[in-house]
Parts: sequence; structure tokens; C-alpha cells
Amino acid sequence: MAGQVATGSRSGLRSALPLLLPAYLWLTVAIFLPLSAMVFFSFMTELPLAGKVWAFTLDNYATFFSERLYLTLLLASLRLGLEVTLWCVVIGYPAAYVLAKVLKGRSREAIFLLVILPFWSNGLVRIFSWAMVLREGGILDTALNAVLPFKINIDLMYSYPAVIIGLVHSYVPYMVLTCYLTLQAIDDSLIEAGRSLGASRLQMLRRVIIPLSMPGLVAGAALIFVPVVGSFMEPRILGGRTGTFYGTVIEDQFVAVFNWPLGAALSFILLAVVLVILALASPVLRRAA
Amino acid sequence: MAGVQVSSLSRSFGAHKALDDVSIDFADGGFYALLGPSGSGKTTLLRQIAGFDFPDSGRIAIGGESVERVPVEKRRIGMVFQNYALFPNMSVADNVAFGLSVRGEPKATIASEVQRALDLVQLGKLGGRRPHQLSGGQRQRVALARAIVTKPRVLLLDEPLGALDKALRVDMQIELKRIQREIGITTIFVTHDQEEALTMSDRIGILRDGRLVQEGPPEDIYDSPKSEFAATFLGDANILRGETTGTGIRLPDGTAIAAGAGATLAAGAKASCAVRPERIRIAADSGGADQANGNVLRGQVSKRIFAGNNSTYFVERDGQTLKVIVQNTGIERLAEGQEVVLRWSPESTVLIAAN
Amino acid sequence: MATTRILEWLGRLYIWLLLAFLYLPIVIMALMSFNVSPFYQLPFEWTTEWYASLWQNDQLISATWNSIEIAIITTIICVVLGSAASLALFRYEFRGKKFLQALLFPPIAIPWLITGTAMLIFFFGVGIGRGLFAILLGHVALALPYVIVVVSARLQTFAPELEEAARSLGANQWQVTSRVTLPWIMPGVIAGGLFAFAVSFDQFVVSYFLSTPGQTTLPVEIYAAIRKGFTPEINAVSTIIIVVSMALMLLTARFFKFGGEK
Repeated sequence: MAGQVATGSRSGLRSALPLLLPAYLWLTVAIFLPLSAMVFFSFMTELPLAGKVWAFTLDNYATFFSERLYLTLLLASLRLGLEVTLWCVVIGYPAAYVLAKVLKGRSREAIFLLVILPFWSNGLVRIFSWAMVLREGGILDTALNAVLPFKINIDLMYSYPAVIIGLVHSYVPYMVLTCYLTLQAIDDSLIEAGRSLGASRLQMLRRVIIPLSMPGLVAGAALIFVPVVGSFMEPRILGGRTGTFYGTVIEDQFVAVFNWPLGAALSFILLAVVLVILALASPVLRRAA
Repeated sequence: MAGVQVSSLSRSFGAHKALDDVSIDFADGGFYALLGPSGSGKTTLLRQIAGFDFPDSGRIAIGGESVERVPVEKRRIGMVFQNYALFPNMSVADNVAFGLSVRGEPKATIASEVQRALDLVQLGKLGGRRPHQLSGGQRQRVALARAIVTKPRVLLLDEPLGALDKALRVDMQIELKRIQREIGITTIFVTHDQEEALTMSDRIGILRDGRLVQEGPPEDIYDSPKSEFAATFLGDANILRGETTGTGIRLPDGTAIAAGAGATLAAGAKASCAVRPERIRIAADSGGADQANGNVLRGQVSKRIFAGNNSTYFVERDGQTLKVIVQNTGIERLAEGQEVVLRWSPESTVLIAAN
Repeated sequence: MATTRILEWLGRLYIWLLLAFLYLPIVIMALMSFNVSPFYQLPFEWTTEWYASLWQNDQLISATWNSIEIAIITTIICVVLGSAASLALFRYEFRGKKFLQALLFPPIAIPWLITGTAMLIFFFGVGIGRGLFAILLGHVALALPYVIVVVSARLQTFAPELEEAARSLGANQWQVTSRVTLPWIMPGVIAGGLFAFAVSFDQFVVSYFLSTPGQTTLPVEIYAAIRKGFTPEINAVSTIIIVVSMALMLLTARFFKFGGEK
């Protein structure tokens, strides 16, 4: 529609505005203003409630650097994000490949839907379902005991591996989705051409298919890493006492400790980290778009 | 029904000048072709007349009324799009009825008008079908019926026959002319196909790089092109370049070419002569003397193409390839490599100023 | 060729293993909701008492109604606002269009923890506070980009000449939209609506921060119950919620191909 016979840029905005305004106004009030407010609040000592005295301060940010706890937790969260993302790549990419290249027709559509479906259902409930499986006396425990000759006590609940399992379960469909879209766009004739030139399957994979899948992998990684770094619900339910991460500490500030300015500062630091990561990933993502 | 006047129309998109001071008068009831290569501005001009875009400067009048700031839905025009643009979710009848129904016409009137329009384009029984069930030619006719049923003042067509195959295209050309004569509506259509423009239109406007190069009836432009571009774009032409003498031009090697028509130029100016391939007589060069009247050139046949009822000869002469088309009436055939004499009359030669 | 067959067979096996990984916990959770034992002990004895006791749980019931109401209102608002914005982005060219399109990404890309707490702070400062209205504000903002993306994707398949043809026949902007554009994009609008409903109904994090006692949504109540301890009642309500979500998504898939194939 654009190009040489466009309807003229001046009139374009005037006609577009009434249609755009409601949506973007809502986004401004509900997202962009709050994010700005959060930055603003992070520089305060106290909430501006009636009767309370507040001043501007850098203390909240200073706290992050002075108390080792926060930095440690941020690093723990980053590590969690990395591990979960890597597992999702390892588990999700082969699945995407099979879906895109091995399965065909209606069965492909049906199975693709089956893989994606859990992702779109309630995340909280899915985490809870893992509690059923992982706890002592739970299904995993019972099943293994029924099979193995010796008594074994599997109590994965309230542990780091449990958190990883739960998060991978929650987010792996995302990786399958993005990789599938990218892989599907790779023309089969490329692979045939490479094979006809003498390349083995492994060589084709390494030198052609994986490089061409990068946009899907990077997109999936970015979209998994970012939420996981900020997660608090999954660590709390599956991690118990070992489930303290950066996200849970932020949650505490708002729900238990009521130190909102500190929470805002910690949140903003997380946001900065997330934006940096997205910025690093965006060249690859833009090439894909 | 009304005529359309376009005066000094200009439109630029950024640095690109799409229309440069174009003026054309489309008389009421006429069938006009806007012809030109892609990028010439012909579609831009059509869309300006339609009202999808407004000019930077200049005026457009439909039926005497200035419309250059009036949006398309208020101009009362009918338009047929290159890909027909039939509404996929509506039947043929609903498509044709659309213009009437958005105007709030009563249902009974709509039904009868729609049937009349469909009968006019000979699709009377297909009102209940959906666009995807129709062939290309049928969709074309639905698009036409839809455009004319509202009795617009002007009918605009954007390369309407481009998507059809050759045989269908010829049929549709005849159809379009018949319908246009029957309802007498001012029709402007855009095409890059010069044969189409020649066969269908009362007048042609040739556009190039946003400028109007020449405008007039097809025979006038064909017999008297005013520029090398017009000469070579509408039909084939042999272009001979040199300096003007009083009666024509003198080629670089000294040969004189007499021109009987065309521009009046001062002597000594750079100029060209254009000759149509079918006006040249070609014969084997027997070495005899030339006759006094007429233009004569000698050359060598480099290629011959036999096309059934005619033959095309490409003749090399002084570094230039000349094209000659003869009807195969049983005259001797000339072979490649043969030395030949080309003869044609000054009346067939048009003098053109240098570009 | 034999290697191809083996590899393909392995590939299929892998997919089934993955599906087992994805679905087994959910299936087990659902099964446990029908088991008599309040401590999830085997052997399995069928009962529906846990579902029955849900009806006595007033907190859960009121939270469920809140969730449904908010989801419905969110859907309506998102569909109207999102479709309008998509149409504007499709029809018109103007300076700053790319910027506006880029603005749709932050709500999706920024972790809900950050958006949720930011909303909490801002709404508090502005006087909206917490509660169902605040939750509605948040849900619409989160679902809006998804609706715009879905409807815009559908608009990509719409030929702009159709709108031009309608205008050339004398239709004004409203007639063009309602009689030509809207019928075509309706599947995208429906898909977007179902999306918005699912996003709102399943939304936990933002609802969590914006809830107050008495004004909560179903996921928030489930979370609170889980923190207190595991009971099969939680299994029951979780099974219901997951069945509803999946059914919604299956419905959406009918209208919108996630795989990108037309």
C-alpha cells in the first residue's frame, strides 16, 4: 500500500490518530507511565504517603551494591536463566526439527498444536502439577519404587533441580515454536542440493541448518531467558527454602517487607539487565523479521 | 457523463517527480488511452483523476467542476482495478450492487439495475456465484459491471486486460469498446501495451518520466510522431540522424534524406528522420542507377525473419541496423548477406527535432 | 536409506517422549483430583468429593467469577481497541509508524514481575490503588499487543485494492470498514479475542500484585492455597482451569494458524 502511490503522509496521521489513540493511550497509562513511575520511586526513601517524610536518595541503588546478597541473587537468577534456556535448546530444537522436517501434513499440524497447547494454559497450574510428580511419595517416587528392586527415596521437591524442571517444562514449547517457524522456512531443496554435493547429514546440520536456524534459536532464547530471570512463583512453589532468587526478593519488597522504593530499584536494575540482553540479541532477531 | 480536464498537474513523492506539468483534455464520451513504460506516471495520473491521491499543484475538473481536493468516494467515478478487486465475501450480484447499496438506493431499484448491468456484460445468469468460482475473463466483466452500474461520470481502468491471455484479451477489447459506445461514458484507461492503445482508443496520451510526450488520435501519432520516443514507442520506426537541410536532413556520410512531413526547423540544426518499416521497398541491388525522386539507401541483409504473411528484413548500413517489413506477395525472397537497395518516399518520412 | 528410516523413527519417538514429558504431570495432577486420599496416597479410589467441596469454597467461587468477568471485559476492550489500532497501522503511512509498532514489544518482552510491580507503584501513587479495576487495567494492557499482532497478521492477507474499490464506488470510511474490511478480518479478530481471554484468565503475576483480599482472581487464590499446603481441592480447581484454557486455545487454533501456514 505504501510507496509511490501513498495517500500522503500528512493526511495519514490525521486519519490514523482516532483509531490509534485509545489503544496507545491505554498502554501509556498502564505500562509506560508505571515503568517511568517505578524509576522515579526508586530514588525515594519512602513512599509519598500522607504524613510520611520522603527525600530523594541513591540509597536503594547503593544497597544493591553494598549488600552482597542482592548481587549474589541476581547472578543466581542469571545462572538459572542460562541453565533453563540451554535445556530448552537441547530439548526443544530437536523436537522442532522433527516437526518441521520429518512430520508432514495433518499429523504435523496436530502434533504441533499438542506441543504448543500446554504453553498457553495456566503456568501456575502446570508448576503445581510438577509438585505432584516430584515430591516424596509422589508419582515419580512411587513409580521408581515399583520398578526398582531397592528402596529409593526421590524427593526432588524444594530443590534447585525441581525449579529447573518446572521452568523447562513451562518454557520449552516456546523454543519449539520459534525454532519450528524458522526451520519450516528453510527450503527442502537447500538440503537436497547440499546432499547432492556430497555433504553428510551431520555436515549439513552443522554448516547449513543450524546457522539458518539461528534467528529462531536466538528469539526463543531471548523470550525464555528474560522471564526466567524474573521468575518468583516457580522458585517459591518448587524450590522452597532453596528457592530464593532475585525475583523472589523483589516480590518480598512489595508483599512482605513493604520497602517499595527498594523493590523499585531492584526491579529497575533487572529491567536494565533485560534490556541490555535484548539489545544484544536484536541484530539477529531483526534479520529474521 | 462528463469530460475531464487536467491542467498543469504536478505530483512528487520525495525527490521523485511522478507527474510534471501534465495537461490533457478528455472530451465527453471519448475512449482514451494513457500509454507509457512503467514509471512513466500513467497510473499516478489515473489515481489523481480517481481521487486516491491529491496533486501538489494544478487542477482537475470533472464535468467542469473542480475536484482536486475532493476525496474519491465523492467524485462519482467508476474504476476497474488491475486485479479486479472483487469483494471475496460477497456474491457477484452483491459486488455489483455495492455502489448502489452504500448510497441507500431502495432494494427493488438495486435488483433491477444490477441485472441490467450483468446483462450488459453478458453475465446475466451468474449473479449468485462467488468471485472465486469465476474465470479471469468473467471477473473482469463483473468488475466492469460493478463500476458502471452507479452511472458514474467517468470510467477509469488500470491495465484492465493485463492479466488475461492473448485470445481473451482481444475478445475483451472488443467487448469494452462495444459497452463504452453503448453507454457513451468518458473512458480513460492505462496500458503499457501499444497495440492495445492503438486498436481501442479514440485518442492516446503518451507519458514518459511524468511528462506528456504527445497526445492525439492514434493515426496522427503514428503518422506524425513529434519525438523519437513517440516514434519508437508507438509502433516501430527507423531513426536516421543528421543535420537539417531545407528539405530534410543530411546524414553524417553526406547522403541527403528528404522529409515530406514533420517539424519545421532552421537549417543546420540537429534533427532526425523517422520512417516506418512497412513504408520501405526493398530489392536486390543490381548496381543500376538511382531514380531522381525518393529516398535511397544501400545496405546488406543481416537477418531475415519469416512470419507467414510478412517478412522482416534487418539491413546493415553504415553501422546502423534498419528494419523493413514486407508482405509476402510472391516477390522474390532476399537472402542473408545479400546487397540490397531501400527506397521510400519523402511523404513517408517525418522530420523530428533532436531530443 | 535405512539410516533415514531409523532416524525418522527415532525422531518420532523423541516427539512422543516430549509430549509425555509435557502432559504426564498434568494428567497425574488431574487424576489425583479424583482420588479419595487427601494426602495423595495410592491405591487409587475414585471420588468427586473434592469437586463438590469446591462449591463450598466461597473465596474460590468469588475469585472465579472475578476472573471470568475481568476476562470478558478485557476481551471486549482489547478486541475493539486492538482492531482499531491494527486497521490504522495497516491503512495509513505516517512518520513515527515504525516507532509505534516497536512500542508494542515492551509489554510482551518485559518480565511481568517488573510490569506488575511498576503498575502497583503507579496505581497506588495515582489513587487507583489495587483491586479489580486495577487488575482490569493491567490485563487489557498486557493482552492488547497480542490482539494487535494477531489482527495485523490477518490484515496482511487483505488486498488493499479492496478498500480502494469500495471507496471508488462511493462508500465512506465507515462503510468500507464495516462492509469490506471487517468481514475479511473477522477470523483474526475472533482469534485475537480468544487470545485476550486466555491471557487475562490465566494471568497470575500482575493480578497477584494488584490484588487485595476479597478482590482477587482465580490464579491468585490458587497460589495462596498452594502456599498454605497441598490439598486435592487445589487439584480439582486446577484441572478445571487447565481444561478451560486448553479448550480456549484449541478454539483459537481453528481461527489462527500458529504455525504460520495459511
